[in-house]
Amino acid sequence: MAMTSLRAVIAVAATLTFSSALAVDIQQEVFSARDKVMPALVHIQPVIKNYRTGELEKQAVVGSGVIFHADGYVVTNYHVAGKAERIICTLDDRELVPAQYIGGDPMTDIAVIKLNLDEYSGVITVAEFGDSDSVGVGQYVLAMGSPLSLSRSISAGVISTKDRYFSSDVRLPSGERTGRYNLWFQTDAAINPGNSGGPLVDLSGHVIGINSRATLFANNIGFAIPVNVVKKVTEEILANGKVTRSWIGLHCQALQELEAYFGTNRNNGVLISSIDPGSPAEKSFLKAGDIIMEVDGTPVSARFVEELPIFYGLIANHEPGSEIALKVLRDEQIYNFKVAARELGDLQGEVFECKGWGLTVKAITKQMQVENQLTDTLGVFVEGVKRVGLSDDGGLRRGDVIVRVGDEVLAGLNDFTKLYDRLTEQNLDKVFLTLKRSGATRFVVLPANRQEGGLLDEQ
Amino acid sequence: MSNKQRPHSRLRALAAVAVLLGVLSLPMAGEAQDFNFPRLEEKVKSFTVRIDMTIEISFGMNSNEQEDQFLGNIVTPDGLVLFNGSVLAAESGFMMHGFNVKMTPTEISVTTLDGQQYAAEYLGVDRYTNFGFVRITAPEGTKFDAVAFAEQPCKVGDWLALYMLLPDFIDPPLAADIGMVSVLVRSPDSIPLTVGFNSLQVGSVLFDRDLQPVGVLGPLMDPSAAGFDVAAMMETADQFGMPLLGVISGERLNKIIESPPTKGSTDRGWLGISLQALTKDIAGFWDIDAAGGIIVNEVINNSPADKAGIEMGDIITEINGQPIEIDREDKIAIFQRSIADLGPGASVGLSILRLTNGERQPVSMVVTLAQSPLAATDAPEYTSETFELTVRNLVFSDYMLFNVDEETFQGVVVSELKPGGLAYVGGLTIGDVVQRIDNEDVTSIADAEAILEKIEIEQPRELIFFVWRNNKTLFVNVKADWK
Repeated sequence: MAMTSLRAVIAVAATLTFSSALAVDIQQEVFSARDKVMPALVHIQPVIKNYRTGELEKQAVVGSGVIFHADGYVVTNYHVAGKAERIICTLDDRELVPAQYIGGDPMTDIAVIKLNLDEYSGVITVAEFGDSDSVGVGQYVLAMGSPLSLSRSISAGVISTKDRYFSSDVRLPSGERTGRYNLWFQTDAAINPGNSGGPLVDLSGHVIGINSRATLFANNIGFAIPVNVVKKVTEEILANGKVTRSWIGLHCQALQELEAYFGTNRNNGVLISSIDPGSPAEKSFLKAGDIIMEVDGTPVSARFVEELPIFYGLIANHEPGSEIALKVLRDEQIYNFKVAARELGDLQGEVFECKGWGLTVKAITKQMQVENQLTDTLGVFVEGVKRVGLSDDGGLRRGDVIVRVGDEVLAGLNDFTKLYDRLTEQNLDKVFLTLKRSGATRFVVLPANRQEGGLLDEQ
Repeated sequence: MSNKQRPHSRLRALAAVAVLLGVLSLPMAGEAQDFNFPRLEEKVKSFTVRIDMTIEISFGMNSNEQEDQFLGNIVTPDGLVLFNGSVLAAESGFMMHGFNVKMTPTEISVTTLDGQQYAAEYLGVDRYTNFGFVRITAPEGTKFDAVAFAEQPCKVGDWLALYMLLPDFIDPPLAADIGMVSVLVRSPDSIPLTVGFNSLQVGSVLFDRDLQPVGVLGPLMDPSAAGFDVAAMMETADQFGMPLLGVISGERLNKIIESPPTKGSTDRGWLGISLQALTKDIAGFWDIDAAGGIIVNEVINNSPADKAGIEMGDIITEINGQPIEIDREDKIAIFQRSIADLGPGASVGLSILRLTNGERQPVSMVVTLAQSPLAATDAPEYTSETFELTVRNLVFSDYMLFNVDEETFQGVVVSELKPGGLAYVGGLTIGDVVQRIDNEDVTSIADAEAILEKIEIEQPRELIFFVWRNNKTLFVNVKADWK
């Protein structure tokens, strides 16, 4: 009897000892991870530019980032630094250091900035990237950054899910589609506005993700871009200033619920659900309902949506201009297609502000053409019309495409800016524009405001 | 002392108020005395009815019902009744965010002021006046007392009287009021505006001092407020948000009464162009000497304009010999209305300026108008009770809205879904264009009906819908649940 109870007491004590040892270990690990990454943490204050209201509007925002390169390169989110005009960073020692935008990728919401180390007397710390493929659900993680601008903050949690999928209809605040080429870590480590761009860190002190999104009105549902995606994107940005992808104009759908209908086996093939008009895929006569079995001899499958980013990445990784060989199942027959990949290019064009006209216009990229159902990329896209201004008086609207100024046909933004500069110099009393709106042609006369010097630019 | 004086001064104050009121109301009272109200009331009682109506309002996945009561005027001996239909103005096609707002009057009854009650059927709302029409279902040969409108113009300063219908718990039901013609408005609509009346009285017959019915009190409509696929035009409002009221003339009413609007069909003429106003600025730039006109921005394939040879960039300056004085965007609807009013089949002479070899040359042509395309809510529908899904045919405005080619784009539009129904759970959404079900093409609701009826017999476990949504296509698996 006495023996038994003694044994029980020993057992309880052993458990206690064991568990307190675990707690100490975890605490030590958190401290050590903190010490490895916190010195590389950056508080980023960019001034970002927005042209949607028909004029340049500047906005001071706050984000986070982490130094990943001894030359002072910092990785952050595209939605933090992508439209930045000026960037001021605060390092771990609270010193202010200006930074310069190097390049970004809206599709994965990653951007790289470079600290101006000439203006910094300290020594920077570089954080190490880990391997996001080896991360497990339930693994402890730390989120570091500046939630609600409260710099040098840590929160802790676990990886809630490691393969969260967002449909490619998700957009950044600046309007670009995002998320097509990557999955997301979901974590319950608190992520708030201002955490964007900050590192998600494992207990060994490696960066395993870049915190990017949070769910509003939810408790601790945040999302990070896995670091393997970040590694690839930052390498390309450092090498070329941008990420180059191929585009053939496919939209795909998970096969899971459609296997019986298409008569396919499990884990076999990727279903094409839609084809962009005028795309290489359309020119190669692919169509919705085709099932791609192989890409350049490699079998592909997307039974679940979570598999789609891998397939999209496989297509995107081709050299633009190269030919992609697709083995396709159509009506129970196998066909071979060759599709000429073209460069995806910029999602959004360069923006130009016409101060005197109360108007901002944007160069039309191929992707803008597809998205806005335009017949070509000629002309300039009306990005914004100032609420009170000549363009508003003339009846211009966001989404109009200006195809002619006076009698001169516009090829693109360069033609437009040249004409704008010439016309404002001439100080004409009227400017005649020809537009395309929903496929129909319209004519607009911008009246002059003589008291303010006609159409003279206010600059 | 003071106690004695106080009632005195109070009396004086009252007298002063009375005098003031008297001064203010004297001219009105004087004019009112010129109307023989007892006789007028007898007249009004004979053709005035109370309309009770249940209106079903549905928008996409939601619907509810409301009960309404209107003053009605019997306008033909066989029982055509006119009322203020502005509540139902959305009835003839109103589209928001991809779903249709539909207003369907059900359970209509018409009660005469001597207590006779009749069933009635709903006809439609006239888009230029917002007047609605119902027809009494009465035994063959029943003759009603009807108001017959005089076709005489009003002048500024004319006094008019009407009777308004009071809520049904008040007895007697009719109350008189008078008002005055204040201005003869030419644009945006030709209508004499009145002062003295209020918006609760819209739909009441207006009488002159000889007790001639000269028209009905109605709102001044703003044609420029008619948006995309909004068939009904909006009422204009003064700065306090009250509608500007005036006399919808007997002449105009008699035309509408002759061919009252019919929901689901259109007797409006259609040219088939998209257009903009020839403003002074544009005319100046092109060196065109005209008081206004219509610039043709786009010609719809196979439309009357296309068949007659109208081209993009043409400027229409005259219609049937009359100059088109449209020099502002908000006047465009005046032109659209004149085309609509001419009706399908009408031959219309147009004078056009066309750019030929760098110069604008006059061209004249005759266009035979077609019937205006159906509004989205007037499109024929099919409902599958099993899938709790309603689809409708594509209409012209869909092609414009979706920016797709009418020749090649096909399908039926998902117009209603019951939350929790099979189609909803499967993932269809309002506004999807169903192009294929399983392996069969769907080009009309007849196709959809045939496929979905056949499925009732075959009872497959799932249906694959191929749909167009937001400019992309996708497959949607709808699982069946056969009992």
